Amino acid sequence: MARPDDQAPLFPGDGDAAGGTLRLPDLFMLRTGPESDVVVSSRMRLARNLDGFHFKPRFMEGECERLEVHLREVLRESEPSNRYHGLHDLSATERKVLFERHLVSREHAADEHPRGVSFSADGTSSIMVNEEDHLRLQVFAPGLDLEHLDRAVNGIDDRIAGRVTYSFDPRFGYRTACPTNTGTGLRVSVMLHLPALSGRLEGRPRGAEQDVVRLQNAAQQLGQTIRGLYGESSRADGDFYQISNQVTLGRRPEQTLEDVGKLVRMTLDWERRNRDAHLERNRTRIEDHVWRAWAVLTHARRMTSTEALTLLSALRLGVCLGIVDAVDVPTLQGLMVDMRPGHLQYQAEAELTAERRDEVRADLIRGKLLAT
Amino acid sequence: MFHTCDRCESPATFHLTEIKGGTKTERHLCEDCAKVLQVPQANKELQTLLKSFDPSQVGRQKGGKSVKACPDCGMTYAEFRQNGRFGCPKDYEVFEKEVVALLERIHNGVSRYSGKTPEGGQVEDGELVDETSEVRARLAQAVASEDYEEAARLRDEIRRMTAARSAPPAGEAEAE
Ligand SMILES: [Zn+2]
Ligand SMILES: [Zn+2]
Repeated sequence: MARPDDQAPLFPGDGDAAGGTLRLPDLFMLRTGPESDVVVSSRMRLARNLDGFHFKPRFMEGECERLEVHLREVLRESEPSNRYHGLHDLSATERKVLFERHLVSREHAADEHPRGVSFSADGTSSIMVNEEDHLRLQVFAPGLDLEHLDRAVNGIDDRIAGRVTYSFDPRFGYRTACPTNTGTGLRVSVMLHLPALSGRLEGRPRGAEQDVVRLQNAAQQLGQTIRGLYGESSRADGDFYQISNQVTLGRRPEQTLEDVGKLVRMTLDWERRNRDAHLERNRTRIEDHVWRAWAVLTHARRMTSTEALTLLSALRLGVCLGIVDAVDVPTLQGLMVDMRPGHLQYQAEAELTAERRDEVRADLIRGKLLAT
Repeated sequence: MFHTCDRCESPATFHLTEIKGGTKTERHLCEDCAKVLQVPQANKELQTLLKSFDPSQVGRQKGGKSVKACPDCGMTYAEFRQNGRFGCPKDYEVFEKEVVALLERIHNGVSRYSGKTPEGGQVEDGELVDETSEVRARLAQAVASEDYEEAARLRDEIRRMTAARSAPPAGEAEAE
């Protein structure tokens, strides 16, 4: 599956940089972490800006480029083992792949000004340069592992802080381009798989996901939010949801971590109880749901990403409940990334039409599932 | 009707009809792509908040002469309200009154920072915390109870703490 790092892909006809220099990091999702039957991954992000520079909407002539060059040098010193890529040197497909791995935001991938990303070879940290803020530091972990992430992201932050002057004052904390990040600049996000709470197992119609709505209300009162990771509304495609903090002022980062951790634990307990209750009430129904997903995934010849996400979600539940053991969670998590449009195109080293992507996606999934 | 996003494969939540030169084009975008393309409604929550709330207009006539602008980046509060992004860090001071009120709306009624400083210090409720104050209190107690051995130890501790704070960050010492 893995493409050799040094094998240069070509994407002619992007009307864009030719690319070919990207060296992708490992996929951290190929490991599992604590509580991985419900928690897919955790992420922490810090927004930081430098004194003496404007924010993106007000960059002067050449300022953006100067800042990128400066920060590139700073990161070379502070994170010597990281890889740095100017996004303007990468092809559209390469940028899409970075986005699909959460190493850059969608905005950062799509933008046009001088900007970059620095990431660790193991894929567990990335630093965006000249995103909405001058610096966005991100760390990732499989499963629920906030204490580890806290140490990791603050380590990066402290190393950079020793080399630049952050825009900071005790009154407002870290000054950010958007007032929703002012203060700690911290966003803690935990991605959860909630097939029982979403109501899908009961075959409830869309819009009747009372449990998720109740969760949303609880989250809001705690200065947090829960939303679907893919798709819209309270029923997310594949039942993947993300809990994250919204408040970045007046609450210490460790308090925010604790608060998010609490809501996540409450949610995962609730999800597990619901899963057990479903099994007890109607085991055959759950088994049928899971095995049907397996049947389609291992036989279909064409598959959209939404369908694949939905079926892989059902299979993930089956693996976590011990119904299926022919495949493991890391393999499924890897597939969920590898089957996305940018990854398919990157792997094929060619632009693919949506129709062709559906065929390649079905082949990829079938091959992977039947090989294990 | 269900549409997928024109730019990626996510389900579209923004549906736009543009009429240019007599031809009608429909566009379907997901929330993220709508943000990238700066579709105005995309940043709904913040936009609503900014629009419903304009303290800069209090005691000032619209279109009046005194429109405050940042001397550094030229941003006006009206312009900030429009796109929800500051132009430079100085805007926090230039529009302090408005910014404080806005931050309180966003962050559950609080606008004062608590957390670390870039130099490794601590801030509580917008004020730098003097980490020596607790040790100083214990020192006063030790002196009062004539425990001179303990007092000497605490004095050393305070000296160490202050020295550590005023030292430049590791590896960055520069002779001036
Ligand atoms: Zn989109
Ligand atoms: Zn300014």
